[in-house]
Amino acid sequence: MTAASDRLELSRLVHRFGLGPKPGEYLQLLAGGIPQARAKVLARRFDPGLNALVTPPFPNMGPAPSDPTAGLAYWKEVGAQSLSVGVWWMDRMVLADYPFIERMTWFWHGHWATSITKVSYALPMKIQNETLRTHALGNFVDMSRAMVKDGALIYWLDGPENVAYSPNENLGREFMELFTLGVGNYSQTDVHQAALGFTGYDVDMTSGAVTFDPKMHDNSAVSVLGKRQVFHAVSLSDWIVSRPENAKFIARRLWFRFISTTVEPPASLAKVFEQRDISLLINAIARNPAMRRPQYSQAKSPVEWFVSASRALRVTPSKLPESAALAWLLFSMGQFPFNPPSVGGWPSDEAWLTAAAIPYRVNLANVLVQNGDLAPLTSVPKAKIVQAAADWLGVAQWSTRTERALNQAVSDPKQLALLALNAPEYLVNA
Amino acid sequence: MSPCDFNRRQFLKYTGAAGAATMAATFSMDDVAQAASVTPLPVGTPILVIVTLYGGNDGLNTVVPYLDPAYLSNRPGMSLDASQVLPPLGSGSDNVVLALNGTMTGFQSLWTANKLAIVLGTSYPNPNLSHFSSMAIWQTGSPVEEISSGWIGRYLDGLPHDPFRAIGIDSTLTPLLAGNRRVGSMVPVSGLQAPWEPLGTQLKHFAKSSHQDTALVADAAGSIADFYALSSTLTPVLKNAPPASASPLAQQLDAVANMITANVPTRVYSVSLSGFDTHADELSQQNALVGQLSDAITAFLTQVGTTPRADDVVVMVYSEFGRRVEANGGHGTDHGTSAPVFVAGNRVAGGFYGEQPSLTQLVQGDLVVHVDFRDVYASMLEDVLGTDAGKILNNWSTKVNNLIKPVA
Repeated sequence: MTAASDRLELSRLVHRFGLGPKPGEYLQLLAGGIPQARAKVLARRFDPGLNALVTPPFPNMGPAPSDPTAGLAYWKEVGAQSLSVGVWWMDRMVLADYPFIERMTWFWHGHWATSITKVSYALPMKIQNETLRTHALGNFVDMSRAMVKDGALIYWLDGPENVAYSPNENLGREFMELFTLGVGNYSQTDVHQAALGFTGYDVDMTSGAVTFDPKMHDNSAVSVLGKRQVFHAVSLSDWIVSRPENAKFIARRLWFRFISTTVEPPASLAKVFEQRDISLLINAIARNPAMRRPQYSQAKSPVEWFVSASRALRVTPSKLPESAALAWLLFSMGQFPFNPPSVGGWPSDEAWLTAAAIPYRVNLANVLVQNGDLAPLTSVPKAKIVQAAADWLGVAQWSTRTERALNQAVSDPKQLALLALNAPEYLVNA
Repeated sequence: MSPCDFNRRQFLKYTGAAGAATMAATFSMDDVAQAASVTPLPVGTPILVIVTLYGGNDGLNTVVPYLDPAYLSNRPGMSLDASQVLPPLGSGSDNVVLALNGTMTGFQSLWTANKLAIVLGTSYPNPNLSHFSSMAIWQTGSPVEEISSGWIGRYLDGLPHDPFRAIGIDSTLTPLLAGNRRVGSMVPVSGLQAPWEPLGTQLKHFAKSSHQDTALVADAAGSIADFYALSSTLTPVLKNAPPASASPLAQQLDAVANMITANVPTRVYSVSLSGFDTHADELSQQNALVGQLSDAITAFLTQVGTTPRADDVVVMVYSEFGRRVEANGGHGTDHGTSAPVFVAGNRVAGGFYGEQPSLTQLVQGDLVVHVDFRDVYASMLEDVLGTDAGKILNNWSTKVNNLIKPVA
């Protein structure tokens, strides 16, 4: 008999540090015990699941043709790629046998939230995605250095308009407010001076290539957070990231997304991040006693819900018959990869639990169930099917309310799956 | 009475005309508590409709100082002349003549009927030029301290849970409607059709909360309960979808008009129009958008105007900021500061409020602020929603006086 707290902790491990269990995985991990399960979930190794990943070409589209007919085809292709790059990433999240790295990349995408609605082209977004994956579990100093030279991010925050004679504060402000320090840890003067340090970087929109023009850079010494010197993107990033507030801020941001949006992290967590080692920090979070305590629920965002359901049903998103309709349903629920609503990223918890999301979620669940593999349910006797659904989906425990509801559909595995994917205990990771 | 008027249908269904015994078997106490709130909104209860313009609407090409030499000189190739604006409304200040953008004929008729107020030069101290930050400031109603709750959300916080009280016409939560404890309901323009059977009936069992639920799991169950409460009321009301050719705002306001006409117990509606971030080739794009705005609101007020609720509805229109006085090199304008806020309805005392900012005395190239938007919010909270604005706006104590006429 497994302790309820083991089931809870494992459910959190596989959903929050992974992207939901594949069929059979939850019970298998449970049998091995929590320490072994944690090691597997947090492992970084060659991922055989990704052998099945098909990456469509995201070429440099070059400038738009002036001929109207060719122009129409060009923009149609740009639009199609902006969807397919999001579907490609969800394929990756679904196929991975070791999804920890994808889960972290997903976190960082929400942190350095950049939207293709402004960037327009898939290629720069994919390059950013690869940069985030490279540094997802590395050192934050390196990640931040790479991001201040990332074409999609610079373009998104009006970097090309930020020139010595006419500075634009967008990147300077958001870098400190949302990416590194948090509000209240800098002044408006720091914002203005940091903007000057970021001047002179231009972006080629279609390739994402970043060029530096010394003539457009402010070469005078500026004073940022008490340090006066001539700054460039990397030296500025290094200086700001070296501030103690950065350790607190990043520790809080990870805690917020992995443990709780309402309970503050222990003060000791920032200490773990003194060397800016992301891997150390996330491992400390995964081992925090909060993982076993009941009050730390988190709602799944639409993409997290969709990916975990797709993994359970062995559905590859790009192979669904109508991937445009799939995208539309996710957009309607308010979340699609590479389309955060603003540089502040996506909302959390209660914001996803709206009445308006329900019809879209039900339809999406139906698409998945119609196209998915229901073997985990069809292979068990009726009397055990409701519990089998919890084990299959990695749900710690159905409430008696949900059990009663699921009991209505024990003779129809498809219907049972459809209900289970819409159960409160599956929308929220208890 | 409209055939889809919910007040009888719903009221009978929930209040026991079908028999108390049956009801006890069918509904839990939660359902009964829920049902108690589903009472029709009495005629004469004021309703606020908030229209958000995303992207930063150019105030100067909406309420246009078309004779001001500084307007013409700052906007070569993208200023509107006398033939592109409507007959002058009067002067905002210092004899600056103002006229509406030529596409806004509906607003012109509201103005003539004394039902349109234009609050000139509205923003907040030290305006923020980031879309994100400035929209957050307007939606939270908090320019100084960064907070996460919306100002209408805080209005909901002070009242019992009722999924109908504030409705946003969209699929995802508008921050405006998110309080600390309560959240307004979001409804897509197409309504909330209950799922096919038997799923529809089966899914409904998830709506009950369980003592085993954590707070968030209970919220998930609650969203399902809200869905069914809203769906059964709104599906008949919203069954006649507006023509697809209507502008997005017209479609949203058509849904709102249908709900208001059916006496749905909603005090606040939130709708929006996007596309105002006109950094390049502004003229054609912005003209079209303000035209849609004017057409949609005028049609909405006309539709509601034929019902007993004609005097109940007040519409408020705002954007996160106006735009720079000086055009940029691409026949567009960059992010700016103050801009006019519009307030329309039968109970609105039409005319100019505030003061038109000077085009020559600028702060770092931007318009000065004459009215704090919290004054407008306070008028909406106190004179439309009948609640203490200070409690919701961090002790803010002033408002735009006499903007809303007392109930007759």
